[in-house]
Amino acid sequence: MNLLLDVLTTSAILYIVSAGLLLIFGVMKIVNFAHGAFLTVGAYASLVSARLGLPPVAGFAMALLVGAVVGMAIEWLVVRPLYARPLDAILATWGLAIVLGQLITLAFGREVQFVPSPVDGTFAFAGGEYSAYRLLLVGAAVVLGTVLALLLTRTRIGLVTRAVIMNEQLARGLGIHAGLVRFFTFAAGAGIGSLAGALITPLSSVDPNMGVPWLVNAFMLVMVSGVSMASLLVATLVFGAAQVLLSTFVSPILGGLAIAVLAAVTLRIRPKGFARD
Amino acid sequence: MFKFRSLSMAAVCALLPLSFAALAQGDAPIRIGMPVGLSGANSVVAPSVVQSAQLAVEEINAAGGVLGRKLALEVADDASGAVGAQKAFDALIFQKKVDVLISMETSAARNAGLPIVARGKVPYIYTSFYEGRSCSPWMYVNAWVPEQQVPPIVDHFMRAKNAKTFFLVGSDYSFGRGMLEFTKKYAQGKGATIVGEEYLPMDGSDWTAVISKIRAAKPDALVTSTAGGAPNVTLTKQLRAAGINIPYGNLAVDEGTAKSMGANAQGIYISASYVTGIDSPANKKFLAAMTKKFGADLKTPNDLSVPEYEAVYAYKLAVEKAKGTDPEKVVKALGEVAVDGPRGRIAMTQQRHAPLTMYLAQVQADGSVKVIDSFKDVDAGTQCPAMK
Repeated sequence: MNLLLDVLTTSAILYIVSAGLLLIFGVMKIVNFAHGAFLTVGAYASLVSARLGLPPVAGFAMALLVGAVVGMAIEWLVVRPLYARPLDAILATWGLAIVLGQLITLAFGREVQFVPSPVDGTFAFAGGEYSAYRLLLVGAAVVLGTVLALLLTRTRIGLVTRAVIMNEQLARGLGIHAGLVRFFTFAAGAGIGSLAGALITPLSSVDPNMGVPWLVNAFMLVMVSGVSMASLLVATLVFGAAQVLLSTFVSPILGGLAIAVLAAVTLRIRPKGFARD
Repeated sequence: MFKFRSLSMAAVCALLPLSFAALAQGDAPIRIGMPVGLSGANSVVAPSVVQSAQLAVEEINAAGGVLGRKLALEVADDASGAVGAQKAFDALIFQKKVDVLISMETSAARNAGLPIVARGKVPYIYTSFYEGRSCSPWMYVNAWVPEQQVPPIVDHFMRAKNAKTFFLVGSDYSFGRGMLEFTKKYAQGKGATIVGEEYLPMDGSDWTAVISKIRAAKPDALVTSTAGGAPNVTLTKQLRAAGINIPYGNLAVDEGTAKSMGANAQGIYISASYVTGIDSPANKKFLAAMTKKFGADLKTPNDLSVPEYEAVYAYKLAVEKAKGTDPEKVVKALGEVAVDGPRGRIAMTQQRHAPLTMYLAQVQADGSVKVIDSFKDVDAGTQCPAMK
């Protein structure tokens, strides 16, 4: 039972971290290598909020907001001018990640810092106990996934975004302002990435380079998921399970490699990954 | 013609600074190099270590310096690991040309730095507790080794908590493995069983799999030896979040980190050569001086930072005894001097290590540390048989 919960919570965490990256990849067809930096920005936003004595929810809200604003600025300054050169845009986001990391170091120092967990202790159920905060994260992942799905399928802006995901040139031809869609998508992806950073810090710690290991895993998951949020769900469940099972039964070090290796193998066998089309 | 002129100009320019150096030798500061983990795992503790060194340097300079020369501190970031240590040691020894290295670092950093120390022929006082048996003709250690630190915790668990089975968790490098290897041998020697032994990379922060294994093994007691700083906090946070409350002996946490862990740290047993509660005039004087110098910015003095303070004084005494900073003479003198510091009288006379008074303590709900037992002048054991 604990193993199952480990798998569920790990998958939930992976989903939350990768969702923002997938959103940006789907619409703009570029991999935002600054995603790890957004995770870090969100984490530090929640650190600031904790220092100010605000309740944890304020920390999450602050992370979302700060991430979205930073995302908007970056889209306008860095990504948009490179619209015609997607490969250069990807490189630019990598450079951006370095710049953001250094700015954070200048502002907050290099040392590892901590954010208290909003929920302490365990949740007891029939089979035993489990970390309450980790269980909350499963809930957070479900809410995030549902909100994104609803936004994409039931709203006009979602419809427009899906059109741009499917075929940007055609959407443009139909009069859809693709530039605005890209702008808001990048902001949303950055905001969600920052929210993810704020959500994961109570479990571990905050430091200027905390986003890098998550970036690698998120990148692998996005590569395997194509552009579909549903296939991201499947990918995080499968790979999350693999990581937990390997870590528990073999060694945590091999478990850390699981996602990268499995992604490479999956793409070799089925280049579309988990995507349906 | 032009060539001759420029050559002779170059010669004059080259000789000038040398002559100045010869004149200024008497006034040049003695440089103390301090490679320390300002980033990475140790970054939680490093500020306290730097503060200790700064106070020692300030006090010695105020009292006239060493042989009339002032001390200057050069701090470099070793990123708590081997790669950063190579850069930091290289920069300090070959660029800044320090006269001595006095520092607290992870074992990974120390092991990476020792070959550079040997090349640069600089005395090196290692002020961090560690897994023991690291030997170099240039290094002295004034902090504890497992022979001094582990027995109090294991004995207490077996006697007072009736623990017969132990689970060991550590960071996967020389310190984590070395400490737990000693603990395993010691506990098994006393009749206990080790029901699990798990390691995570030094910067790892996801202890989920390890915690599942602890739950499955149901040990009587837990002993951990992670890298100092961040891993302690993440492990304890996650242990408490998972509801694990068995007797928990942490071989690598210091008072400062325990304080920053808040309520999660309550109940942890530590074994240290320094606790702020040591009731001696020297410790009270030290704490008062630290509070006066740093005020609200003071980081709790702890078992990783106080040896740094005493080491700077040890170097001062060694230089005075050797009547200069000649590395070989200073290295010889370091084994002969004794410092009276907050931890008592520290002399690095046992194969480059020092006998130390150890305190077994438990972290309280408010983050303070309560001493349960103390052991005077515990032997360091056989650390470097080649260096008498």
